[in-house]
Amino acid sequence: MFAYIVRRILATIPVMAIVALFVFSLLYIAPGDPAAVIAGDQATPADVERIRASLGLDRPYLVRFGAWLWDILRGDLGTSIFTNLPVATMIQQRIEPTLSLMIVTLILAVSIAVPMGVVAAWRQGTWVDRAVMGFAVLGFSVPVFVVGYVLAYVFALELDWLPVQGYTPFSRGFGPWIENLILPAVALGSVYIALIARITRATMLEVLQQDYIRTAKAKGVGQRSILFMHALKNAAVPIVTVIGIGIALLIGGAVVTESVFAIPGLGRLTVDAILRRDYPVIQGVVLLFSFIYVLVNLAIDLAYTLFDPRIRY
Amino acid sequence: MQRRNLLKAGAAMAGASALSHAAIAQPAQNRVLKMVPQANLTSLDPIWTTANITRNHGYMVYDTLYGMDAEFRAQPQMAEGAVTSDGGLRVTITIRSGMKFHDGEPVRAIDCVASLARWMKRSPIGQKLETFVDALEASGDRQIVFRLKRPFPMLTSALAQVSNSPAFIMPERLARTDPFQQIRETVGSGPFRFVPGEFNSGSLAVYARNADYSPSPVGTPSLTAGPKVVHFDRVEWHIITDASTAAAALQTGEIDWYEQPPPEIQMLLRRNRNVVVEAVDPLPLIGIMRFNHLHPPFNDKKMRQALLPAISQSDFMSAIVGPDASLYMENVGIFTPGTPLANDAGLEPLKGPRSVDRARALMREAGYTNQLTRLIGPTDILAPSAMTQVGADLLRRLGFNADNAFSDWGTTVTRRTSREPVERGGWSMLFTSFSSFDFVDPSAHFPLRGNGANAWPGWPNMPRLEELRDEWFVAPDLDAQKRIARELQTVAMDELPYIPVGAYMSMTAHRRNLADRVKGMALFWGLRRI
Repeated sequence: MFAYIVRRILATIPVMAIVALFVFSLLYIAPGDPAAVIAGDQATPADVERIRASLGLDRPYLVRFGAWLWDILRGDLGTSIFTNLPVATMIQQRIEPTLSLMIVTLILAVSIAVPMGVVAAWRQGTWVDRAVMGFAVLGFSVPVFVVGYVLAYVFALELDWLPVQGYTPFSRGFGPWIENLILPAVALGSVYIALIARITRATMLEVLQQDYIRTAKAKGVGQRSILFMHALKNAAVPIVTVIGIGIALLIGGAVVTESVFAIPGLGRLTVDAILRRDYPVIQGVVLLFSFIYVLVNLAIDLAYTLFDPRIRY
Repeated sequence: MQRRNLLKAGAAMAGASALSHAAIAQPAQNRVLKMVPQANLTSLDPIWTTANITRNHGYMVYDTLYGMDAEFRAQPQMAEGAVTSDGGLRVTITIRSGMKFHDGEPVRAIDCVASLARWMKRSPIGQKLETFVDALEASGDRQIVFRLKRPFPMLTSALAQVSNSPAFIMPERLARTDPFQQIRETVGSGPFRFVPGEFNSGSLAVYARNADYSPSPVGTPSLTAGPKVVHFDRVEWHIITDASTAAAALQTGEIDWYEQPPPEIQMLLRRNRNVVVEAVDPLPLIGIMRFNHLHPPFNDKKMRQALLPAISQSDFMSAIVGPDASLYMENVGIFTPGTPLANDAGLEPLKGPRSVDRARALMREAGYTNQLTRLIGPTDILAPSAMTQVGADLLRRLGFNADNAFSDWGTTVTRRTSREPVERGGWSMLFTSFSSFDFVDPSAHFPLRGNGANAWPGWPNMPRLEELRDEWFVAPDLDAQKRIARELQTVAMDELPYIPVGAYMSMTAHRRNLADRVKGMALFWGLRRI
């Protein structure tokens, strides 16, 4: 197992290298020039050139890529063109809100969606099943930002129960922290809940047809025990896979949710950097997201062994 | 009190300590102002970049030797006064005593000299001033001496100018930075101290009241002139990119001021009795249709003039601010309406009934032969985007072989620097807008320049415009300036470096309990909570 983990972690290196090359090349060929944005309207072409040179943007592709790669290897993600702050510092400032949002969303989604899916499978064909599936269709169909606006309107503007926007660090207390995260997590989690609930239902339906479930029923095992101890554990592998794949969904959704609820996270940092052509920031954040995604997939693979002892690495 | 806070207060009643905490916290909250600025604050160096948000940041942190009042007259700010001698060839400015930078160091003349030297490398009017300067030096700790090659009557106006970049004063150690590199520290002598530890670009910028600040002893607060008396201990700029969220935050009282709500949000906010929607600046912004003068079809003056009968300034402006005619102006020329140099010379072609047919006939006379015409413009900034959409429709109605290339602002800014013909990725026309300060006079009026290859994108070569601009800089008085301004507009409306497409008001929204806001832009002195 240990050797497998080491191998998988080492395997992330070429993956990250390809991501780095891809991101750098994409930004290189994309239109837009941060020097022109910085210089402003009245700058002469010579001024723009001087700024470009001072930022190192006038160097050839390979030189720039080589320098960037060398910095990465030394653990230096570079410096933002605009803020003059190290990219690592900017990521450090932004990572807590995004991680908080993702964790709360994940907990919320799993704790709601899995029971929903189990109950829907158990009560297949009844109004409960139809209600759960109806909710799932709704969750898939309504864009995250629409859910966000509706939630903000009802719970912040009309009822005044929760704040409209912003983020309070966890260090200032659990109450203020969670208060700012409830609406964004519900908004972001709506798609995720729908996805997990549907997969859970489908997988549970398949498992509930198995012989060992019939045997358990014949032995007089209780309904709850059959559902959650026998069936759910065996249905867990596909569910965990979907949860892992859904991390990418969360990262994408976080960009929108952070904008709607003004959460200063990595999603907004990425969008702002793209709009300004702040290359070092874009490259740093995309690399980080790629790394997180690779790690999550590794964790999911390892989690399989917990649910299915037949799986060995 | 908000319901949420009321519920919290109810819970807090259970403990006397919590009650006393709330009682103490309330006044402190009142001394904090939370505002959503017009854009994200990215760069902190107002000389290095010309972004308006960075200029506004500059006015928080830095001070200037002269301030500009609402009548666009330069007034002493850090300066005590100036003495002109040697027939206008020597100007000595004395700075007030007792001023300190935020690091506790005194403000000295050498700091001012270094700051002005850096500013003169980047600011257009500073660059102009530099061509007049033989030497700029400090005399003692309080005197700045300009030795000029020729008299420069605009000197104090240049030092007071609000359009980017103002002549902010920094400590010498920072002002020695290459003007094409960012300064690495934010230390000024202005009414607020920047709090770097809380800066999170894209989210939050915090300013603390500068307790050591000594406001100008003369005048009344007016634009950037007069005493800058601060009534808040702390000002927070919260970057909220989503307009609906910012509006909701203003309505619930989570923020106090939303600098630039878009028109549809303004309509919503006007219905809230706790919110005031008003013009941020009594003067309007100006929209322009800019031509590329290097390539057909608009390298031909007759082709540019052919468009005039079809230009309806109200069409362009209502696309930005909506149908409320009180929010925009028509018959706008090259200078900001309501300012001393605004005039009506040469504006006849923009007045009277509009006619697309007449414009088409003039296009045929000018020899339009279906050349490809590319309109470039952004989709992510309200005013240029709205004007570009109207422009695209106009080109279609006029029968141009038009290619519309819309993108984000960053791409548009880069693309407009291309001097290539349309077939090789170039452009023919674009729309954008400028602040009232930019078009107050010719000094920072980039689209009015006719200096060819060095001009603002579009690169018109119109020597007469340059001659008149040079004359304006040395005009002895306002009457002379006005005369030159009329001639400038006459020439501009004939040559058409661009076509003015109207002026519109920029609106701001704040909680009703804020009073005494200094008009012009987002300024934080004078403002208080009632």
